[in-house]
Amino acid sequence: MSERTIVVNRDIQAERRAAANRFREKLTRSGTFVVNLVSSPGAGKTSLLEATCRYWKERWKVAVLVGDLATDRDAQRLRPFVPVEQLTTGGACHLELPLVEQGLAKLPDEKFDFLFIENIGNLVCPASHDLGEHLRVVLLSTTEGDDKPGKYPKMFRTSDIMLVTKTDLLPYVPFSVDRVTDDARLVREEMEVMSVSSLRDEGIDQWCQRLQTRREAMLVEVPSQ
Amino acid sequence: MHEWSLVKALIRQVDGIAREHDAVAVRQITIELGPLSGVEPELVRLAFRQVVDEATSSVAEDLSPRPLRDSWRNSLAENATLTIQEVPLIVRCIACDNENEVTDFIFRCDECGSGRVRVISGDEFRLLTITFDERLASV
Repeated sequence: MSERTIVVNRDIQAERRAAANRFREKLTRSGTFVVNLVSSPGAGKTSLLEATCRYWKERWKVAVLVGDLATDRDAQRLRPFVPVEQLTTGGACHLELPLVEQGLAKLPDEKFDFLFIENIGNLVCPASHDLGEHLRVVLLSTTEGDDKPGKYPKMFRTSDIMLVTKTDLLPYVPFSVDRVTDDARLVREEMEVMSVSSLRDEGIDQWCQRLQTRREAMLVEVPSQ
Repeated sequence: MHEWSLVKALIRQVDGIAREHDAVAVRQITIELGPLSGVEPELVRLAFRQVVDEATSSVAEDLSPRPLRDSWRNSLAENATLTIQEVPLIVRCIACDNENEVTDFIFRCDECGSGRVRVISGDEFRLLTITFDERLASV
């Protein structure tokens, strides 16, 4: 027996990244805009989706994949509005592409305009996993404090939009939208910042408009095939 | 702790490459890790031991999603040591081309103060080298 060293020099997630890119391209071609919602637990991902569905009504075909460690409580909340598939991870702290693909296969076989993926509530692990989304939105609620972007740089660095939620509580908490915007832009200069109160349906119109604009931009870039 | 899942991806690749080269056992694995990889060196070390132990145990409980199971069983990396090379987080300024290290994740050019900087190193999670015992060709 002899010992041998070989140089590999390869991104360990290269295969996963390639798979995510294939998924993204496939969904782009079918006109489905995929949004990955990430946040800590209780930041208001499900409430945001409820408000989004209320606002759009039947205007767009929407489907939701909901990640949860246990229970299907979030899925139950969304079922009155749109087709929902529950992704129960059985203890895992983040979603990965194979679970998303399985969930999508279980949804009704139609072309959706928007597919929302509600990730596991966690500001750490989901940051490292590309789910083939077109847009990553990090929600930060006003009760969590405006110092979070700097504390979870990877998550904020990999997100396209920071959505400040629960703005109806702003009068009661020491949270400044300006401060959090400054903090987020230290880790990502181009960060787009929006704010909503899903409870009061405030800011939901701008949020929905923004999603429509982003989807239109995706449709323009459809790879020819 | 998602390092578990990432370490499985690592071991799967190491096994694949080792088998391609007709290896008998993997001795050493060297990886490169940046502060922006979202992967903690200490947790990688911990997960590595757990994953190889479990990959060689028949009664292991596996909490990972079904599609991730099974493919990493019977690993050749059972007795391998893992070496982690940590790389610094370096950015290059889009405005003035200056390069500097980023500490505390404040993405700024320390020459002109611009926040428009591109990460040129620091998000690595790469497999660098594998050392293994290879079967000698029979004469």
